[in-house]
Amino acid sequence: MEQYLEAALYIVSVLGALALSLMMPRGRSGVGKIGPLIGVAALGGLWLFLCSSGLWGDRETGLSTPAFIYYYVFSGIAIFSAVRVITHTKPVYAALWFVMVVLASCGLFLVLSAQFMAFAVVIIYGGAILVTYMFVIMLATQSTPDGHSGQIYDRVAKDPVMASAAGFLLLAVLLSVAFDYDQIKDIRMDAAKRQSDAALIESTLGNRPLAEQAVYKMNEAGEAVKVDAPEPPANLDPTRLANAERVGLDLFMSHPLGLELAGVILLISLIGAIVIAKKKVPDEGAVISR
Amino acid sequence: MPLTEIDSLTLSHFLLTGAVLFCLGLIGFISRRNLIIMFLCTEMMFQGVAISLIAFSRFHMNDTGQTFVIFVLTIAAAEAALALGLVVLLFRRKHTLDALVWSKLKDV
Amino acid sequence: MSIELIKLIPWIPLLGAALCGICCMKPALRKLAGPISVISIFIPFLITLGVYSAAKNLTGDDRIQTIYSWMGVNGLQINMGYLVDPLTMIMLFVVTGMGTLIATYAMGYMKGERGYARFFMGVSLFIFAMTTLVMADNLVLLYLGWEGVGLCSYLLIGYYYDKDWAVAAAKKAFIVNRIGDLGFALGIFLTYMTYDTVSLSVVVEKASAFLTDPHYHASAADLWIPFLLMLGAFGKSAQIPLYVWLPDAMAGPTPVSALIHAATMVTAGVYMIARLIPVFELSPYALPTVATIGSVTALMSGTIALCQYDLKKVFAYSTVSQLGYMFLGVGVLSTYGGVFHLFTHAFFKALLFLTAGSVMHALAGQLDLRAMSGLRHKMPVTCWLMFAGCLALAGFPFTAGFYSKDTILAAAMGKGIGDHGSWLFFILALMGLFTAFLTAFYTFRLWFRVFMGPEHFEMGDEHHGEDDGHGDDHGHHAHEPHEMPWWPMNVPLVVLAAGALFAGVIFNGWMSDSIENSTAKPIAVQATSHAVVQPEYQIITVANEEADKGTHAEAATADQDEHHDSLHTMMMIISSIIAIAGIAMAWYFHLANRPLTDKIAKQFGVVVEVLYNKYYVDEIYDATIVKPLRFAGYAFEFFDEWVINNIVFTIGFVPKLAGWSVKPMQSGKLQGYGLGMVLGVAIAALLVFMWAF
Repeated sequence: MEQYLEAALYIVSVLGALALSLMMPRGRSGVGKIGPLIGVAALGGLWLFLCSSGLWGDRETGLSTPAFIYYYVFSGIAIFSAVRVITHTKPVYAALWFVMVVLASCGLFLVLSAQFMAFAVVIIYGGAILVTYMFVIMLATQSTPDGHSGQIYDRVAKDPVMASAAGFLLLAVLLSVAFDYDQIKDIRMDAAKRQSDAALIESTLGNRPLAEQAVYKMNEAGEAVKVDAPEPPANLDPTRLANAERVGLDLFMSHPLGLELAGVILLISLIGAIVIAKKKVPDEGAVISR
Repeated sequence: MPLTEIDSLTLSHFLLTGAVLFCLGLIGFISRRNLIIMFLCTEMMFQGVAISLIAFSRFHMNDTGQTFVIFVLTIAAAEAALALGLVVLLFRRKHTLDALVWSKLKDV
Repeated sequence: MSIELIKLIPWIPLLGAALCGICCMKPALRKLAGPISVISIFIPFLITLGVYSAAKNLTGDDRIQTIYSWMGVNGLQINMGYLVDPLTMIMLFVVTGMGTLIATYAMGYMKGERGYARFFMGVSLFIFAMTTLVMADNLVLLYLGWEGVGLCSYLLIGYYYDKDWAVAAAKKAFIVNRIGDLGFALGIFLTYMTYDTVSLSVVVEKASAFLTDPHYHASAADLWIPFLLMLGAFGKSAQIPLYVWLPDAMAGPTPVSALIHAATMVTAGVYMIARLIPVFELSPYALPTVATIGSVTALMSGTIALCQYDLKKVFAYSTVSQLGYMFLGVGVLSTYGGVFHLFTHAFFKALLFLTAGSVMHALAGQLDLRAMSGLRHKMPVTCWLMFAGCLALAGFPFTAGFYSKDTILAAAMGKGIGDHGSWLFFILALMGLFTAFLTAFYTFRLWFRVFMGPEHFEMGDEHHGEDDGHGDDHGHHAHEPHEMPWWPMNVPLVVLAAGALFAGVIFNGWMSDSIENSTAKPIAVQATSHAVVQPEYQIITVANEEADKGTHAEAATADQDEHHDSLHTMMMIISSIIAIAGIAMAWYFHLANRPLTDKIAKQFGVVVEVLYNKYYVDEIYDATIVKPLRFAGYAFEFFDEWVINNIVFTIGFVPKLAGWSVKPMQSGKLQGYGLGMVLGVAIAALLVFMWAF
């Protein structure tokens, strides 16, 4: 089975490279028909193979059936959108498709129960960064040459075949590692490996006043009135930590230096961006791309 | 929900998605000529890496993977700020976003 | 004077050469080059004279004067060192003495020439190389001098470098010498391999020890070394088969012909064989070969000289012939005779060349015998100076040439007759006698033709000395032959003439003593040397086999001495008669009865033609060696052009192709670099994972 998988990976990589090189912009509109077909066939074949593969039969390694469905949906959306990002000839649409990539991958984050990261990425990427991109795209828009629906450098890719070949070569190598059964069979969701929430709470959040959370409400007179705390939801276990809590604990406890460095980097890039934006550059006139 | 052999998801599934996103971003970076789209592609590579990191985090039952995604986001944000600033600068200079225009170091 | 001064001898001419070189650059200084050169040669002569008494008594290791260690490689130690023994002193006297006289003459002769300073630079450099050659205490330094004189010879033959014939002659001399030098170099290598040293004194000592050791068996190297060294000697000293360059070398200015191609350089081969005589004795075939070659060369070039009409060519062939005598001398183990003839020959041949130069100068470059006659009234001094030289060359009794030539002939005859005589040496001696007759004949043919008879001359077409308008005594020579001025031209000639007439008498005893005390002494002679002293004349007893074996008795030696003594007296008488007969015949045919000569010449037209064309040796060489080599050269050129070139181009195309194939990587385009990076990462990952898993 394994050798079939190996061979399947390479066939899929070749097909993917073929599909993508057919879909890359070459001065025509759209992505054609054959390219997407081959691409879908490649991805579908790979997935079918994965689904039918006995390799993944170890029950304790996997996620549940809904997750299974969600994975294929989000993964399909992400990959399709990614293809559109790099094949679309209009930068604005490419940026919008990228938003789709971000959203789909955030769906995958949710499947992987990383809720905090999912929403953080949606906010930061889909919100902040992509809006910046949109601004820049608007700023740097030129009048298009007559008769064409976009700049030449958007419509014609450079060496798409070579790029696809190189990219899918790397993909094949990565996948052959990722699907190496001997390497990954021991990687499973083993709850025993996990530091228990209770221990974490005990060691770091020992004074968390879970039970005495007071809830104040404002009465008509504008006074704060203490009301009885509502009953916590039945499935809320006070001895368990939410995802955001765990990430926060990990971030602040295990990587304080990284956190500080990240802050410094952000500050420097902030200053750098200002300096760059203020810089006066000579206008060398329009350069006509070929 | 009873797990069957057929419907179990593994780390490899997510790594596959991450790798595909990463490589598509790479291909886009290499073959697209528009500077902005090139940087979009680098962001897409970050996305692939982020998926892999989160999958590792989940399957290894270790939150550090998610923490690293925060750092990745930081870098992505910083890069976006600077890169876009540079793109604007370059655009102001030559009125084009074509990366091929900037090839002054080439051998003639 | 301190013996240390002898170390300066080669370097003073070198300094002189450098100064002359500076003179070359400044037109105002050019006239100084002559005096500088003469002084730089005269000082070494004075040093030689001064240190002579100290030098002649040196023995053993005291003879080696080392300046510094030239090179030393793992057992091979080569010093810049000088071997000072009487043979060296003789050679130094010849080189510096002749050098001084001829350079002095050249000051007048070369006056007004375009390359005046260049000429004297070459002369000084030559003296440096020649003194190095004769003083060297090891074969490598000797080789340095050997090549140095070859270079100077080349430079000075090609002095008129804008003339095709001079350039061709220079190249010919250089290339022919290279052939000999190849043999010499191989000989040096083999000597080093055999004797484990290149030091002359050690080599000679070891070879002598081998010779006197009755149990020693000569090895193959012992047989080969002399033949290889001999080849070098034949090249440098113009013997068959490498003599062809010397007659052509007369393309150089006449003082060069006198100094280099008559008096000094061409005798280097004789010197070398004399110096290494025990090494040659080790091989039973080497010295007979030397003697045979010398004798045949002497005869052959003597016959060629009979029919040449070019003044300098006659003397050139005469030089080859006399060098043949010297080789005959060393070949019959009479190094004394060989070196003595070298010494006297330097006097009279230099004199003859210089007087020929005077004639040529007076007749504006005219060298053809047929275009001159009866010049004795125009140039009386030159006439009688040349007469002295001719007498010596002809071997007229009691002139210098008479003594030295007789020594050689007596030694050869001594080996040829008697109980242990060899027919080979007998024939060689007879050939020598016949050559002596020819020598007397052609020498006086020339003299009678030029100076005697009815006055008649045609001027040549050279006008040197007139262009810059200096010297009134030169100005009119295009119209009328005239006598050379006493200073600086005729005075040196008088000295030379005195030497040519009297050097034989004066230096005879000195010469034999000197050779006796030097390394040139043949080993076999050592055993019998006590008995060979004569009042004014001395012969070296030639080696015989009994002496070699060390079984001879005193009485036998005495008998032999007596025998040789009488033989020598007989040889003196015979050769006197022969010389006088030759002169008389020359007088008859070339003065008294010139028309008869022409008639006889017509009758033997074929012979005259062959002799005039020098036996067609040049043509034969051209057909057998030069043409095939040239054809081979063309073939190789073709091969080089089409095969080697294409291979080289193909090899050169590979990096070009590689560069061309990776050139797109340097496109300067961002995507190109990105692509390269991705490919690199992908391949690296592939390799890592393939190996890792």
